[in-house]
Amino acid sequence: MNCDKEAIMLMHKYFDGDLTKSEEASLREHLEGCEACQKHFHELKRTITWVQSAEKVSAPEGFTSKVMDNLPREKRRISYIR
Amino acid sequence: MDLMIKEKIKQVKKGDQSAFEDVVTFYQHKIYQHCYRMLGNAHEAEDIAQEAFIRAYTNIDSYDINRKFSTWLYRIATNLTIDRIRKRKPDYYLDAEVKGTDGLNMYSQLESDTILPEAEVENLELKSYIHHEISELPPKYRSIIILRYLEEFSLQEISDILDIPLGTVKTRIHRGREALRKKLRHV
Repeated sequence: MNCDKEAIMLMHKYFDGDLTKSEEASLREHLEGCEACQKHFHELKRTITWVQSAEKVSAPEGFTSKVMDNLPREKRRISYIR
Repeated sequence: MDLMIKEKIKQVKKGDQSAFEDVVTFYQHKIYQHCYRMLGNAHEAEDIAQEAFIRAYTNIDSYDINRKFSTWLYRIATNLTIDRIRKRKPDYYLDAEVKGTDGLNMYSQLESDTILPEAEVENLELKSYIHHEISELPPKYRSIIILRYLEEFSLQEISDILDIPLGTVKTRIHRGREALRKKLRHV
């Protein structure tokens, strides 16, 4: 298997959940014998884990009321004139 | 929850402005966080997240009630962040650099108050480094990485949000992962 083209492409299909059974088997087989690809695979896995570990941030206090204050005025219902 | 939002949106469409408040309350943190990650700083994130909700309100008539509201809202927010990134003046980057030290200040303050275990300190540094590297990605990869890994949308949902074919989403997430791998491999 060509590392740069085929194996790396299969790794990305793996991360997207798109691998077929036979592709999975051939990727696994390749990884067992290819140290460079093993390293590449682990780096990708680690990258994803790190990205997922980013901190959560919250909107600042008063965010909602600020939005509401800046909405265009509600169309007033035409009042009944005698 | 989707049903609750759907009901609120129906009321907003009928002209009930107050129903929109619940919609904003429900989505504020998600949309703010998305803008923050796309833009890399709090000030712009608030500005653009505010704008996203206002646009959603003023364009509510064009929203199709049968489609997912969150997809539509994220599309508005993402487009606004990308516009903002394009319009940045070169001198903005100087500001961004200064703003980038906020984390460091916070870190030094923390250090003076309480002694953090070594691992936690490293973790803080690593987190801010990762945040920085994500914010350096080209916007078209950045949006997809953020939507996929931080906001946990499926690739199909991302295709709907960004209004691009699924195949393009896959090509871009592939390139985005490789770009990040190269930046983070030596850490």
